Amino acid sequence: MTVEPGHATAQPGSGHHPDHHHGVDADDFKRELGTDGTLTEEPYHPNPSTPTADRLQAIGEVVFLYTVCIAAALGLSALLVEATGGSSAEVFNALLDGSIRGPGRIGATIGVAVPLLLVAIGTIVSNRAGLVNIGQEGQLYIGAAFGAYFGTKLGWSGPWVILLLLVASVVGGALWAGIAGALRYTRNVPEVLTTLLLVTVAAQLVGYGLKNQWLLLAPAEGRANRQQISQQLPENTRIPRIEMFGNEFPISAFIAIALAFLIAAAMARTVWGLRLRMLGHNPRTAQRAGVAASRYGGGALLVSGAFAGLAGGMMLAGGDFGNYTLVPGFPAEIGWTGLLVALVSRQRASVAIVIAFVFAALRTGSGFLAATGVERRITDVVQGLLVLALLIPPALLYLRQRRRQMNSGGDRT
Amino acid sequence: MIDFLGAVGDVLTSEAAYINALTFAVFLAFGATGEWVAERSGTLNISLEGMFLAGAFSAAMGMHQTGNEGVAVLCAIVGGVSVAAVQANMSHRLVANQFVVGLTLNILVLGLTSFLASELDPVTRQAGTQRIPLLADIPLVGAALFDRTWIFYLIYAVVPICWWIVFRTRWGLELRATGENPQSADVSGIDVNKRRREGIYVTGVTAGIGGAYLVLGAVGQFEDSIVGGRGFIALIAVIFGGWTLRGTIAGCLLFGAVLSFRLSLPALGYELNGDLLTSLPFVVTIVAMSIFASRVRPPASLAQPFIRGLK
Amino acid sequence: MADLPTSGVHAGAGPSGPAPAGAAVRLDQICKRYGSVQACDNVDLVLQPGRVHGLLGENGAGKSTLMKILIGLVIPDSGAVTINGDRVRLRDPLDAAEHGIGMVHQHFSLVEPLRVWENVALGEDGKLHPSDVRDRIVEISDRYGLDVDPDAVVGELPVGMRQRVEIIKCLRRDPSIIIFDEPTSVLTPAESEQLFETLHQVVVDEGRAVALVSHKLDEILKATDEVTIMRQGRVVDHVLTDSVDASGLAAAMVGRAVSLRSERVALGVVDTDLDGAEVPQTEHESTPEVLRLDQVTLLNRDGRTVLDQLDLTVRAGEIVGVAGVEGNGQRPLADILSSLTDIDEGEIRVAGTKVPTGKAGAMARAGVGVIPEDRHDSGVVLDMSIAENLWLVDTKPVSRGGVLDHRTMNRAAATLIDEFEISCSGPDAPLFSLSGGNQQRVVLARELSNDPKVLVAAQPTRGLDVGAIEYMTDRLRRAAEDGVGVLLISSELEEILDLAHRIIVISDGRIIGEMDRNDADLERIGLMMGGQTV
Repeated sequence: MTVEPGHATAQPGSGHHPDHHHGVDADDFKRELGTDGTLTEEPYHPNPSTPTADRLQAIGEVVFLYTVCIAAALGLSALLVEATGGSSAEVFNALLDGSIRGPGRIGATIGVAVPLLLVAIGTIVSNRAGLVNIGQEGQLYIGAAFGAYFGTKLGWSGPWVILLLLVASVVGGALWAGIAGALRYTRNVPEVLTTLLLVTVAAQLVGYGLKNQWLLLAPAEGRANRQQISQQLPENTRIPRIEMFGNEFPISAFIAIALAFLIAAAMARTVWGLRLRMLGHNPRTAQRAGVAASRYGGGALLVSGAFAGLAGGMMLAGGDFGNYTLVPGFPAEIGWTGLLVALVSRQRASVAIVIAFVFAALRTGSGFLAATGVERRITDVVQGLLVLALLIPPALLYLRQRRRQMNSGGDRT
Repeated sequence: MIDFLGAVGDVLTSEAAYINALTFAVFLAFGATGEWVAERSGTLNISLEGMFLAGAFSAAMGMHQTGNEGVAVLCAIVGGVSVAAVQANMSHRLVANQFVVGLTLNILVLGLTSFLASELDPVTRQAGTQRIPLLADIPLVGAALFDRTWIFYLIYAVVPICWWIVFRTRWGLELRATGENPQSADVSGIDVNKRRREGIYVTGVTAGIGGAYLVLGAVGQFEDSIVGGRGFIALIAVIFGGWTLRGTIAGCLLFGAVLSFRLSLPALGYELNGDLLTSLPFVVTIVAMSIFASRVRPPASLAQPFIRGLK
Repeated sequence: MADLPTSGVHAGAGPSGPAPAGAAVRLDQICKRYGSVQACDNVDLVLQPGRVHGLLGENGAGKSTLMKILIGLVIPDSGAVTINGDRVRLRDPLDAAEHGIGMVHQHFSLVEPLRVWENVALGEDGKLHPSDVRDRIVEISDRYGLDVDPDAVVGELPVGMRQRVEIIKCLRRDPSIIIFDEPTSVLTPAESEQLFETLHQVVVDEGRAVALVSHKLDEILKATDEVTIMRQGRVVDHVLTDSVDASGLAAAMVGRAVSLRSERVALGVVDTDLDGAEVPQTEHESTPEVLRLDQVTLLNRDGRTVLDQLDLTVRAGEIVGVAGVEGNGQRPLADILSSLTDIDEGEIRVAGTKVPTGKAGAMARAGVGVIPEDRHDSGVVLDMSIAENLWLVDTKPVSRGGVLDHRTMNRAAATLIDEFEISCSGPDAPLFSLSGGNQQRVVLARELSNDPKVLVAAQPTRGLDVGAIEYMTDRLRRAAEDGVGVLLISSELEEILDLAHRIIVISDGRIIGEMDRNDADLERIGLMMGGQTV
């Protein structure tokens, strides 16, 4: 009894025009007029549809998208410079000189990249667990303050004292993120808000500490009338610096890179990483499978805070920031920028290494802008535009992928 | 402790303290009211800080160029809406993460305004006040409420208008439906992401006015740190207020009072630690959230992106 | 069409023929493709005023896509939509509404925190007049006997009532064409009867055109005038309802003769004689109790009772069916047994040992396997690989000292992929690349390979095609034979009658009746599902 009316013929011109094109899906099709005058629909493949060809095309697309977006961001920045009477070529050269070309500048850039990378790694951990920690700036500051207190007020000595200082920083950062974690899992307060709020609280708290000698303020004789400043870290609590090819930087650079790979491996290869990713992707499935959100999610927040704290400690003891002293405004937006590094590198610790270096280069390069007469805040603009530009290609690709997925057999709905 | 209570008493009876408190509160309320609209549609819009700043800078530029307060406020609205346009299209057209976009915008706008301010160096001045007779003579709060610049008085229109469009118009109904259940709104024929973008544009407008008020009505000139994180305070006023407009305004008043308390103390001859006091609004909000978070219900789809067919 | 086919065979009066006088809607040669899936392939459909047109097909046959095209939610790649003789383009639901098309959505288009009148007003144009909307609601309520308070908050209404709101929302615009999408899935048999009365009224008395989308043969036979049957995106048949019977429709829908009992069950053909099939054996008094719920009570956030003093036992080797209309506490029950929800009172024992509720993984560790109602919600992680999904619960077999052994993992995964016939490109393929049926098999493979004592199967065959349903029911039966206690939660009565040894009827969070399969009869369960104690 079954008859197939699907192949009924239709006269050309009887109104069967392609009606709409719906996004990219329609690109797979081309309407063709059959030889017998009927309209037929055939899958349309512009390329031989071997998997490699598809793949190459996909990669090409991605590269093209990124190139266009980055070029647009840089072009806009250049336009801005020109419009305000500066020379974009000069600015570009100054940035290059200040970040990599000038003698010893690579070392300086590495010094800035270290805390950026550490913050980013921590952020990747909490992101993977589905948590939005945006308070690294505060966690970093508290970490630095803990380190400063340990280094300047306790007066410990011995070969391990530098490690202990870093441990103190780690504890400080973790503690600060831990407040958000505790509130998240006991009182149901969204961590995105608490971490953000705690940034300001941290700044005020450290500011308070820097006004009181029993906390962080240096003794009167050592600070030459400066109001809010800690004592300089004693020699034995400073991270050793090494020199390579005329570039000097603290050895914490190697530690940071090692940690990046360690975390990447832990995410992919350990049960802990598996469970964390599970929690991030699907918290209900995770709960059923035995991943307690409070334990793993709270743990991820602690780890993330710990990394920010470590970044603070390494900034303080590394020598590239504040000359081994803690001052108001010490974090210098490293926490915020590190967060952006993590987000731009899309949760991949290895990519974060590169991005951290690029963002650090913008910062160190900005120091050389004075000679060009262009205000150094232009690098913040460049950085902001770059981040926005880097957000666009993955968003576009994601949207397209989702549209396809959701519709494959209707199974995403 | 007795000293502290004495300080509180002195502040409460000081007319200047009320003026300061209302200045802060109204500035916050401009942003928070728009933010409330955006949040009811499901956006946790953290670029409010950037919108304030863009508004403030644009107002200063407008004033610098024309010397006209009306033009300055219009410029400020354009400034706020420009930031809103980026936020809206990035997060509700491209569906990029709204926090990332917001954070980036805040940094970008800070860089851009301070860069442009140093290049262009806008000169501006405080707007004059319009004293409302009789009402301004009410003791203590009269001057704070009724002897102000006309930009201040805009708040008396902005808040009711926002309430009205959200609760009394079809647009508002659709906006709320979008915030509570975007899937249902979608099948009912509402363009979910469009409503959300429009919600953000509303924030851009009100935050722009807030920025103008900050420059022309409060500070008198543009500075890089003029907003200085107070955008976040406005944002948390919405949360503090449990996503009701009344609570949001109450939050603004409370935070305004706290901010002015800190300013008023030295003026009255007290020495109190300003750092700890500055963090008070933040600590208060954290405590309030811990107490109310499980009781207050945010818009069900808050901070969740919408793509048709995806839950 | 003027000359509607009477033989049940319909082809020649094809889409290119002249539009029949007064056709309300005419879909011509509609095509829609998603990636590699041709959801609609040259589909033709004509809706006539004053007639109910059934649209029958398995899940994934393309009926939903077709209806979404008609309502403007999906834009076709090609083809023509003609409404009352005019060629139209439907870009969004508002467009469709302007052309007089309304839809009663399966999962509702309501916003819970809003009031009834606000919901009804959603998705219209023009100025908002609350009192007009309220008046209109009262008017429609009176005319169709759909009693509802315009100022009630939708979220506080029971499911049956919400559908009334949904219907009012649709009728409010006085549509000339109404689409009902699987309307009875949330209704008790009695409510379904009432729905069909309303349907009759809007069609016969008011001359509207109705499309009734369903995968249930009974419903189609009872309520429609003509049927279009779809399979794999194509229209395979168009017949007058009077001229066909259930087995004919089933054969057209599946594409082959249907003989197996479980298939007929899957298609919603209730066969009280059971075709001489074996009645499930019921001798389980001697086997040990593997699951026991004692006085389990659950309140929701507003303090309303969701589950009310539930007592329930499952013995080893037994299949206990929990029957009931959707939304009467089945989901919370499954959630509790998945450790997703804590309970307010009572206790749960698995194989005699008390298990803490609401504690992550406690139920799974105690030996409760779960095939969840919505696997995307709590069964799988779409963005992880098949192998990872197979070891979500217990990583011990594939890890050492907290480090995953990918070799062992993939090898073991390959074994399970073979055993459960999961079609995929390999253990590393991301789960979202699998079809729904294969995703369900991954869940099944994981839950069964963990040697469960109890297996909770919540709506296990929903959304699967006939072959997959057969596989699933067979697996459940085999699990019971192997001594697993199976708790089958289903709103498909036929499925329960087919599989269960013992049947429990749940209504409004309470157990309202319990009976042996041998004593079960359809009418009695139907009444109970409506909340009546029999």
